[in-house]
Amino acid sequence: MKLVKRIIGASLALLSLSSMAAFKIPVYEKYKLDNGLEVYLMQQTEVPLIDISLTIKAGAIHDEKSYGLANLTGESLMFGSGKLSKTEIEDKLAFHGAELYSSTGMESSDLSMSIAAKDQKEMLKLLQSIVLKPKFDKDEFDKFKKRLSNQLIQRRESPRNVIGSVFGKMYYGEHPYGNPVIGDLKSIEKVKLDDVKSFYSKYYTPNNAAIIVVGDFEKKSMKKQIAKLFSNWKGQAPKAKVLPLVNPKTDSNVWIINKEDATETTFMIGGKGINSSHPDYVAAEVINTILGGRFTSWLNDELRVNSGLTYGARSGFSDHSVAGSFAISTFTKTRTTFEAVDLALKTYEKLWEKGIDAETLASAKAYVKGQFPPDFETSGQLAALLSRMWVLGLDDSFINDFEAKVDSLNVESANKLAKKLFPRENLQFVLVGKALEIKEKAKNYGKIKQMDIDKFTY
Amino acid sequence: MIKFLLKCVLLIGFGSAIAATKPEDIKQFTLKNGMTILVVEDHSIPNANMYLFWKVGSRNEVPGITGLSHFFEHMMFNGAKKYGPKQFDRVMEANGGANNAYTTENLTVYTNWFPADSIEKMFDLEADRIQNLAIDEKMVESERGVVTSERSTGLENSNVRMLMEEVKGSAFRAHPYGWSVIGHQSDIDSWSLKDLKDFHRTYYAPNNALVVISGDVTLKQVKRLAKKYWEPIPAQQEPQKVRTVEPEQKGERRVYVQKPSASSANIMFAYHVPETSHEDYYPLEMLANILGNGDSSRLSRSLIDEQQLATSVFTYFPRAFDPNLFYVYAVAAKDVDAKKLEKALIKEINKVIRDGVEAKELAKEKNSAQVDFYRTLSTINGKSNTLGTYALFFGDHKKMFSAVQDMGAVTAEDIKRVASAYLRKANRTVGILDSAEDSQEEDL
Repeated sequence: MKLVKRIIGASLALLSLSSMAAFKIPVYEKYKLDNGLEVYLMQQTEVPLIDISLTIKAGAIHDEKSYGLANLTGESLMFGSGKLSKTEIEDKLAFHGAELYSSTGMESSDLSMSIAAKDQKEMLKLLQSIVLKPKFDKDEFDKFKKRLSNQLIQRRESPRNVIGSVFGKMYYGEHPYGNPVIGDLKSIEKVKLDDVKSFYSKYYTPNNAAIIVVGDFEKKSMKKQIAKLFSNWKGQAPKAKVLPLVNPKTDSNVWIINKEDATETTFMIGGKGINSSHPDYVAAEVINTILGGRFTSWLNDELRVNSGLTYGARSGFSDHSVAGSFAISTFTKTRTTFEAVDLALKTYEKLWEKGIDAETLASAKAYVKGQFPPDFETSGQLAALLSRMWVLGLDDSFINDFEAKVDSLNVESANKLAKKLFPRENLQFVLVGKALEIKEKAKNYGKIKQMDIDKFTY
Repeated sequence: MIKFLLKCVLLIGFGSAIAATKPEDIKQFTLKNGMTILVVEDHSIPNANMYLFWKVGSRNEVPGITGLSHFFEHMMFNGAKKYGPKQFDRVMEANGGANNAYTTENLTVYTNWFPADSIEKMFDLEADRIQNLAIDEKMVESERGVVTSERSTGLENSNVRMLMEEVKGSAFRAHPYGWSVIGHQSDIDSWSLKDLKDFHRTYYAPNNALVVISGDVTLKQVKRLAKKYWEPIPAQQEPQKVRTVEPEQKGERRVYVQKPSASSANIMFAYHVPETSHEDYYPLEMLANILGNGDSSRLSRSLIDEQQLATSVFTYFPRAFDPNLFYVYAVAAKDVDAKKLEKALIKEINKVIRDGVEAKELAKEKNSAQVDFYRTLSTINGKSNTLGTYALFFGDHKKMFSAVQDMGAVTAEDIKRVASAYLRKANRTVGILDSAEDSQEEDL
């Protein structure tokens, strides 16, 4: 059993905080098939492996009220295709040491495959069959739905697992970004196989997809294989969904999620953030590095190092295309709940009151730049990067201008941007813990709403 | 100037064909004080890492100081002579570096990741805390709070953590593998400054470490820096060997843990198995995978897919210096009785004992090992961590390169044999975690 010193970057899943710095994106080729499918090819030859990402712009924001529909659709692709059953697909992948994951996020779904270069022909064919010829087996679908409901119930045993989706729901409300990606116990119950089939027909089309291949392959032959396998894919997805604006918050709310046997309180505090293509996103990341994005950050320093209140405290921005949120997250034993909440708030206020000094800024700039290259070391990481850039509409400058953007930040601009990009008023609070012991004091922070952890449905 | 140079390296790195690391690419040297250093030159990114493996873990503890190895993993960041409190992290981050550390039953491992041009700073920082750690009373008190929070957040969020603590405690009644790596709360609350000072002197001696450095570095540069910063640190007497040998288990042991918020039963089996250097290691590892690794594994197929008794299953077979445990874990589906799930698990295990495994299952394991080997080689961190692991647990880092072949030599008969030898009832501890009170109604 491993115990790890830090949890920065490892938990409280709502936040995405990739550190990015001085690095140029490796050379890749990009083209489009006649049916609209975008193809990205990037060669990496250190090891004889290939990573493939087949990404579809269909995520939880397309669920409408059927929370979890996009996720169920992505999972359903794995239930058999062409002549192969679900278990035959699994066996075939495992026999070749291949990995295939179906994952669904807020704005996209992704099938990512990691294979030995020598198996490319067979595995690409399998991937094609999974995406283009799903069987949507009814028995497998029912079995999966049952298991998923079970897992949603089990998730509620761990505050860390649920707090991110609760915060998302609280902050975004009825806005699509508030949709729980995995789904909701009630809505999953209602989703029928026909709903999945129609979601699939609507969104799984070549003009709504990209195939990204990174690794050890021969370009000419890869192009040929892709053309052969995917040129006949037909269909037209509807125009991209235009998301509404997020209603600004005009007061502070406190959601208490009661867990009877809790010995600690897990909490998030946050508010309005920025979208991923925001011109100041890089600046926001550097400033957040100072506030809550690394071990010596203000939050971790105060709440962990100076006071011993917690094992870790952090903060970060969400990673969405048109709007975003920001949150601070940590946990502490029940008795010190408000000591920790107050210290987090006080530390956060430093952004406005004391501001960032030159030495701290220089350190944060060196840190984000220094920690950048290892994020894009493997074929799998690079495939995920290209997939993310495609979904969020980011071009190469997202990577290539990173260093310049980091470097251009000075004390004056950093302090000005900190005040502009981070939310100060109308903060929202989620506290997961023993309600009986924390409810009274929690009232001081905003309007209270209380739920039981074993009752809510997502 | 340096930045410019870095960029060139980077572009060349991506433009040219980089070959996978081979055994002869690993260089090794030992300093006069006994510290051994492995170096892997890999110029694929302008970064490098430094993994320091200290041969100390919870197996080196005794009652009263359980959890001290892990606590030390924290204390090593709390200030030394040249770099005072907080300075280790501050200086490292200001130089573009990041770090982490982990503690196991066997090892404490410190990991530094940094832009290659900061390497000298890393040597300096490490030398300071190895030789001159300041164990400050105030820092110790504050760190007790941090570790207590780490302990309770683990128990709060993870059923596995909670159940494993009880199962280990029951499976071992003599050997220190019996307590959790994080230790007993009462020990965390009460170890003394003297305990800490003795522990540091004994275990953080250069002759008790193995260091692996991979990345955009050269052997020559590493040698020069190691000699300058680390060679002056004096060696210490070899730490005492762990003497206790766990007596043979004579019959099944059972533990029950009540956790009111559990929504379904969790089951853990733990079987005593030999240490990693034992000849049965690979057959056992392959058995663990065939049983519980991935959708196509036996337990997953049977319990999740076919019978729908469980929502997740896995096996866990940690590497260890001394004989340790082979774990099987399952989470029951809603309304599935723990007894029923337990029976189903045992039935699958017994099938292997009775009928062995199929040729295609063996082939699958061998193929996966090959591809996983390449995945390991695809990052500098994979290289450092895995080389260190093989050097320590298998006695030679070169075993990393022969692992695929070594697995290739395992036969279906070997797997059947180890299953029969170790996965026996009398050798098993069963743990169940569930929401209901362990009721005495039936006793009355």
